[in-house]
Amino acid sequence: MKLKTQLWDGCILFIIAAFLIIPLALTFLYSVFTAWMDILPTGFTLSFYSEILTDGAFINSLLRSLVISFVPVCICSLAILLVLYVTTLYMPKLEKYIEILCNIPYAIQGVILAVGIISLYSGKPGFLSNRLFLLVGAYCIIILPYTFRGLKNTIGALNVKCVVEAAQVLGCSQLHAFFSIIIPQMKNGIISTMMLAFTMLFADFVVVNMIAGSAFRTAGIYLYQTMSKSGQLSSAIIVILFITTFIISTLTLMIQNKAVTKRGKN
Amino acid sequence: MKAKKNYKFYLFALLPFFIIVLLFEILPLINIVIESFSKTGGGGFTLDHFVKIFSTRLYQQSIYNSLWISIFSAVVGIFIAFIGAKAAHNASPKIRNTFTSVLNITSNFAGVPLAFAFMILLGNVGILTLIGKNYGIEFLANYDLYTINGLLLTYIYFQIPLGTLLMLPIFSGLRKEWKEAVGLLGGNSFHYWFKVAIPSLLPSILGTFSVLFANSLAAYGTAYALLSNNISLLPIRISQQFVGEVVQNQEFGCALSLVMMALMVISVLITNKLQKKSGGVQ
Repeated sequence: MKLKTQLWDGCILFIIAAFLIIPLALTFLYSVFTAWMDILPTGFTLSFYSEILTDGAFINSLLRSLVISFVPVCICSLAILLVLYVTTLYMPKLEKYIEILCNIPYAIQGVILAVGIISLYSGKPGFLSNRLFLLVGAYCIIILPYTFRGLKNTIGALNVKCVVEAAQVLGCSQLHAFFSIIIPQMKNGIISTMMLAFTMLFADFVVVNMIAGSAFRTAGIYLYQTMSKSGQLSSAIIVILFITTFIISTLTLMIQNKAVTKRGKN
Repeated sequence: MKAKKNYKFYLFALLPFFIIVLLFEILPLINIVIESFSKTGGGGFTLDHFVKIFSTRLYQQSIYNSLWISIFSAVVGIFIAFIGAKAAHNASPKIRNTFTSVLNITSNFAGVPLAFAFMILLGNVGILTLIGKNYGIEFLANYDLYTINGLLLTYIYFQIPLGTLLMLPIFSGLRKEWKEAVGLLGGNSFHYWFKVAIPSLLPSILGTFSVLFANSLAAYGTAYALLSNNISLLPIRISQQFVGEVVQNQEFGCALSLVMMALMVISVLITNKLQKKSGGVQ
């Protein structure tokens, strides 16, 4: 009886995993073969990878994606760390309201956020209508809930008040103590939160397509434009983007596991 | 003197956060509401946009389609996630970890890349479609990815990893003693699942449902990459008012966004209400 249920559970897991893996695996296979007209593809080649990796336009779009995902993550994390500094040490009551502000983006996901920002700022004079500036701002809002929760959980696990008071007794200023003692202790939490936020932005298509469009070609936009031209090239791009995300999320998991074992040892 | 200096510093430290939130969250949100009730081209108060949305077939259809695809994909997603999470919960740690890695990997696979993967699988000259044609498998040969029903499969695909990852932790809330207690009272596993386990998990299941619902309501990349503007879904109709070749109407786009936002808020409110009603183990 027990063996039967185990077998049954195993089958379920296998079917679900297979359904999830197949589209991904096929995209990879599609990118290394020239033709696929029957059950098996024919003509193994890596030429699509060499073509796309030597294409300056693609490399540029990939770099754009990396930069435009990285900058908002830094800005947002720094702003939230400063807020957490004030709320944990001086104004704990404020945190409730900050949390509400950080949860609003759940209700204005994707297209709604882009609409709000474009309709407010497009056509306005000066830097406010700069598309890149708007994109960075929109990206900060997209990752706001996740960054806030991640950083708050990290800081919550530390006894900030005690440590800062001890540092003050030893003649260190509060701000100095916060940045030289608390932040280094939060390092793993900060890095894994930032990486999670980064992968979210790296995969974004809707906001960049609406706010910047073809004026700022990220890898996502480049992929969309290539799709109608060459299937194999597109699948090679997808594999490259996927590997990038995969490396980042694996590193994040490793850092998180390290943080857990470290905490366990202490 | 020192207190005053500190006070100034707090304000200074809070400033970046509040500038970002004000400029890109609060003001845009207020602006959406204001413009929804403004005449096209600006100024005045009007309800015309909402009258148009709820009386034009094109927009009624997009609301209906969006709701339908979101509810259906969330229900199917929850169902698969439930049996998947249940099986993973019972499995050995090694199998469970492998399964979780598969979920983590595929949860990043969404949007435009996902649309492309399904195109090479089931598109007009997709691999499965060709196999279906070559070997006379009607279902595969005639599968039409470029309709709302075809699109549904891609939506279900991206709901599964997210749903299962959210459902996995809740199964540890079930106690072994409950199953034994049901057995002692003469119940079978049907009684256990439908009278004890599922009711106690219901609040978490409902919470997962509302995340999945919002996730597919806001999804844009997959549908846009497959059908560009040729499908009636709310996010597509909204973006159309701002980019693309059709005549643009910013105020109308804002009104459509407000409708979509209302749908999201309503789904959260309904879930909260049901969660309170069902109580559960928490």
